Amino acid sequence: MTSVATKMDSLARPAQRRGLSDLGIRNLFIIPTVLFLIVFNIFPLIYSLGYSFTDFSASANAPANFVGLRNYRELLGDENIWANFVITAKYVIISVSGQMIVGFGLALLLNRTFPMKGLVTTLLLLPMMMSAAVVGLFWKLLYDPSWGIINYALGLGDFAWLSNPDAALFAIAITDIWMWAPFVMLLSLAGLSAVPKYLYEAAAIDRAGTWYTFRRITLPLVAPILLIALIFRTMEAFKTFDIAYIMSTQPTTEVIAIRLYKQAFQQWDTGKSCALAYIVLIMVLAITNIYVKYLNKVKER
Amino acid sequence: MAAVKSSGRAAVNRLAVVGVIIATLIFLAPIYWIASTAFKPRALATTVPPTVLFQPEITSFIKLFVKRVQMNKAVDPATYAAAPWWEQRIMDNGERVLRTGDNVQLSGYPSRFMNSLIIAITSTVLAVGMGTFTAYGFSRFRVKGEADLLFFILSTRMLPPIVVAIPMFLMYRAVGLTDTHIGLIILYIAFNLSFSVWLMKGFMDEIPKEYEEAALVDGYTRMQAFFKIVLPEAATGIAATAVFCFITAWNEYAFALIMTNRRAQTAPPFIPSQLGSGLPDWTVIAAGTFLFLLPVAIFTFALRGHLLRGVTFGAIRK
Amino acid sequence: MRKNLKLLLAGAAFTLAGAASAHAEDLTIFWAEWDPANYLQELVNEYAAESGDTITVETTPWSDFQTKTFAEFNAHGDAYDMVVGDSQWLGAGATQGHYVDLTDFFNANKLNDVMAPATVKYYAEYPGGSGKYWAIPLEGDAVGWAYRKDWFEDPKEKEAFKAKYGYDLAIPETYAQLRDIAEFFYRPDEKKYGVAIYTDNSYDAMAMGVESAIFSYGGELGDYATYKVDGIINSKEAVAGLEMYKELYKFTPPGWGKTFFIEDNQAITEGLSAMSMNFFAFFPPLVNKSTNPNADVTGFFANPAGPDGKRFAALGGQGISIVSYSKKQEASKKFLEWFIKDSTQKRWAELGGYTASQAVLKSPEFQNATPYNKAFYDTMFMVKDFWATPEYAEILDQFNQNIYPYVVGNKGTAQEALDKTAKDWTATFNKYNRYSN
Repeated sequence: MTSVATKMDSLARPAQRRGLSDLGIRNLFIIPTVLFLIVFNIFPLIYSLGYSFTDFSASANAPANFVGLRNYRELLGDENIWANFVITAKYVIISVSGQMIVGFGLALLLNRTFPMKGLVTTLLLLPMMMSAAVVGLFWKLLYDPSWGIINYALGLGDFAWLSNPDAALFAIAITDIWMWAPFVMLLSLAGLSAVPKYLYEAAAIDRAGTWYTFRRITLPLVAPILLIALIFRTMEAFKTFDIAYIMSTQPTTEVIAIRLYKQAFQQWDTGKSCALAYIVLIMVLAITNIYVKYLNKVKER
Repeated sequence: MAAVKSSGRAAVNRLAVVGVIIATLIFLAPIYWIASTAFKPRALATTVPPTVLFQPEITSFIKLFVKRVQMNKAVDPATYAAAPWWEQRIMDNGERVLRTGDNVQLSGYPSRFMNSLIIAITSTVLAVGMGTFTAYGFSRFRVKGEADLLFFILSTRMLPPIVVAIPMFLMYRAVGLTDTHIGLIILYIAFNLSFSVWLMKGFMDEIPKEYEEAALVDGYTRMQAFFKIVLPEAATGIAATAVFCFITAWNEYAFALIMTNRRAQTAPPFIPSQLGSGLPDWTVIAAGTFLFLLPVAIFTFALRGHLLRGVTFGAIRK
Repeated sequence: MRKNLKLLLAGAAFTLAGAASAHAEDLTIFWAEWDPANYLQELVNEYAAESGDTITVETTPWSDFQTKTFAEFNAHGDAYDMVVGDSQWLGAGATQGHYVDLTDFFNANKLNDVMAPATVKYYAEYPGGSGKYWAIPLEGDAVGWAYRKDWFEDPKEKEAFKAKYGYDLAIPETYAQLRDIAEFFYRPDEKKYGVAIYTDNSYDAMAMGVESAIFSYGGELGDYATYKVDGIINSKEAVAGLEMYKELYKFTPPGWGKTFFIEDNQAITEGLSAMSMNFFAFFPPLVNKSTNPNADVTGFFANPAGPDGKRFAALGGQGISIVSYSKKQEASKKFLEWFIKDSTQKRWAELGGYTASQAVLKSPEFQNATPYNKAFYDTMFMVKDFWATPEYAEILDQFNQNIYPYVVGNKGTAQEALDKTAKDWTATFNKYNRYSN
């Protein structure tokens, strides 16, 4: 007791005279991080903005020539690039709507008390914590036309999921749904558990039907958080690279990130890739902006 | 009437639980398949119909760690008899083990696994460290344009890796950082830092200001208050953030694919290269995948109370 | 710390290599993931025992071998001291400064006489006929075929075949016969199919299959000296070759729209198809009973001829080059000196490598060493290769984009696909100013 008291005493001096001021600490704590992010995230972007106006190729020894907006013009006029964007949009729609339906459905099922609920929920969350590249590789085995368990379980014979140009995108989306439906489930569960019990009790007293209760009470109250899940997943699906790149090289599954990768690191068309990267970047930032606005709105409530 | 209704509800509940069980089984099936394939003999990995019951063996894990080569003729019986048991298992699969002198040559897997560990751990420690400081700064002090700064920090996380990879590749080439551990560590810090700031800020906001204020009154400096009062309070949050950052770095593929080749290559771009030569050996891929996913599975359980927060950047919490 | 952990990990299960002598070099060779790379590792381990320099053969899957290599080249990285690069890379390797000029080494060791002519021409020299050499032929390879001897020799099948086609069922001499046999064995209700071919549009898989047909049909991909392509790649011979390839696609097992060497080998091991196209270097698992249950009844033959009796096959295989960014070029040269010795080449062939050494290729030991070595020997004297210009990756991508939808997706005609190819290639060559001088 005495020793504690002495220790406290020795520290009991006016704070201002020792150590850094609050302002100093604030700057010390915040500025390095911001600088780091500027150097390693923003500076590279400025660097590549510059290259996007040139015909630079990282594989040639020739210096870069300024070409103005030619790269952008060519890209926006290239039907192949538009095809990649259409594939990406298709992928986003299939995959994200699948995740929303499966995820929200799972949450509705889970939103009650039963034994080992915690364990089951955690088990269901495992897929989203795993590496998309490694999981994608393994799903190739599951999809194998001759011995894959998926065809066996569904009785599909030797349907070739990944080599069929029309099915491949769906196959990748299914894997993605498997990975990320748990994400939607997790958010939905949080939303569902936040719905006050008394609202349901009131509805029961009014003899409201299950569907009516769901539509008028559950859905409106869970909607904001579902929307967050939707925007977040849309953004992530838009950026998809790993899973699609590992699972398939079909022209019908060449999402924009794969096109960008090929252009930049296989054809070494660096200048043009920088321009394409900027087009993609602007789209992603637009979605991010919506996302952050929503986050703030939800946080305020 | 009420009794009817509640028994109806109980029936719905039972049905839902059955639904949960079925859904869980479906969701876990692929993971089970990875794990079970890792312990299968090679011949049973690709059978029609799929093999469910089998005598588990660890041959695939041995194969994962040693360098092997396909034999184009049957093994000589004397060599077979002289070989240790684990090498015989490999010979049974039509392969022989490579040696330098008398020593067994290791495959590329152990070094990739080590690279993954080194890079993920180092980048996590640094990202969480910096993130904790910055989060404290944002949580406790007035910062001009705080919302914009925080948005800026978050938006760096949203950048598609491939977009950043092009200029980073050029910059790394100029300074010789491609295929180095440091190079990848820096990238992963940059990638995780924003996440760590956002998540930690949530945790910091939850620690009552009164604790520090009391300490300040007692004569602590701000720094002392931070290290002695705030940090211990934030320990759980720091641990959760660290695990998330670790998992992100551990799983990352695109940067690793582009920026590393050999010395600093991590497991995700390497595991697909185990696909083998003339015929893929799925048991070895499964073994590599299994070992690689195991830490993540364990961490997921450790984290289960924080998952929601983690995946929403601390914006939503229970 | 890192080393300790590594040791700990390794030591737990295996004994680790003792510390090598201090001044010995640690060299790295980069190659694709396949059996020959493992055979090479086995070979270089013997070099390590002799010289003290340890060599590791690093590998990556075929699908991203080119990407990884050029990423490393363009990063000017020294992760690899030597690369066993595809023949098509010579142009880029030579003109973009990635490869060390080996002309003096080549001439001093008279490799022109030692190595088989096709391998020197395609794996080492760039530009063609210039007398400048950038690689040492390391692994010869070409497209060949595996087939089910038991199906072919079944008397009942022979009789039925003769009745239907009017000639004996035997190893096909021409593409037309190959097509007939494929059609004959195509029996989906019995889960038996005619032929397995390459259809993967990534890297050069499908291109190699298609060009084999085009070459045998008397077509060419273009004039490699003048870059003229219009009227050559879309000539009627080339169109006929591509049409034949698409015809063969009809008789492939189901879901055969994205296949390369793995699937084509599986077509044999799983008893799916009567014939299967593959590079020779992928055949070792087919003659091993533990990986191919049908090993005893699997035979091999060389690519058949076209209608005019012309007979060619797509060249695979690689030469080994020293990377110009390597800091260990002298040690690498020392290794290459050892590698080209007759005794090493003989050992290389014994281990399973496809030597390019004429003396070894001609020896009966080599030709009888495996069931497919003879077919390999025959093929190596009738090989032709794809473009080797620096921009070949773009050319290849354009080729894939045009032929893949036609062969697999049933879109358009062969003429349209190749006309578009001619147009795209001309545009690309224009972009690189190939016509200006």
